[in-house]
Amino acid sequence: MKQSLMDIICCPLDKQELELDATETEGDEEVISGTLTCTECGETYPIEDGIPNLLPPDMRDVEA
Amino acid sequence: MEDAETERREVRATYDYIADHFAQTREYAWPEVEEFVDDAPYAAVALDLGCGNGRHAELLADHADRVLAADASRGLLDTARERAAERGFDADLVQADAARLPVRDRTVELAVYVATLHHLPSRAARVGSLDELARVLVPEGRALVSAWSTAHEKFGRTEGFDTTVDWTLPGGETVERFYHIYSPAEFRDDVAESDLELVDFEVSSGNCYGVVRPAGE
Repeated sequence: MKQSLMDIICCPLDKQELELDATETEGDEEVISGTLTCTECGETYPIEDGIPNLLPPDMRDVEA
Repeated sequence: MEDAETERREVRATYDYIADHFAQTREYAWPEVEEFVDDAPYAAVALDLGCGNGRHAELLADHADRVLAADASRGLLDTARERAAERGFDADLVQADAARLPVRDRTVELAVYVATLHHLPSRAARVGSLDELARVLVPEGRALVSAWSTAHEKFGRTEGFDTTVDWTLPGGETVERFYHIYSPAEFRDDVAESDLELVDFEVSSGNCYGVVRPAGE
């Protein structure tokens, strides 16, 4: 995801701002992996292979 | 009946499972969506909610500085990424729940929410999702919302109902997806119940289409 996306996205639960912790980046703008953390509720959302997973926690894992 | 949260996770997991085959069968943008996007003013930020393989994000890319392409299924987002690379359009991909959008208030000028609302398994979730769309739209923003309708010839019913629709994979395996099939009147009622209002409504190719804007703006 692009760093500039931070201006548009928010926590899906309380709509508060997120803080980006990038662990892998490409160039200046592209975040490949890292974590987004809600500055209010503290919920964390992973960025996996360049795509942020902003599903609420109760939607994340299930077997097909 | 399983609880609603389980049902929603399962719809997402099913699309992860069928993503590649599903994407192959969704090559072209729908004409109703093309018409809506063509008529819309150029936007700073556009949203394709329930983007699937990104066929409508591709349309929006010519009408906006930035396109946010959101889907609950990571498998489908991967197909959208491939399509964007092959066809040379740009979209910001986000894995998200249509009923709890991770998008700030009043950021989106133009949105399409196509063939996705009907996968939410309760009226509360569907109306809540329309509320979310209203929240993220700017006051003068416009969105096109579509859902499968009882007007489709295969249903032959007049009242809205819940059902499952099979998807058949190339090997013959079938998987089920939850759908709520809308009657046109019920679709209008759900929009009216939400923070959106209808600007235009039609039934076309067995789908309800509503052009909407935030209510009271």
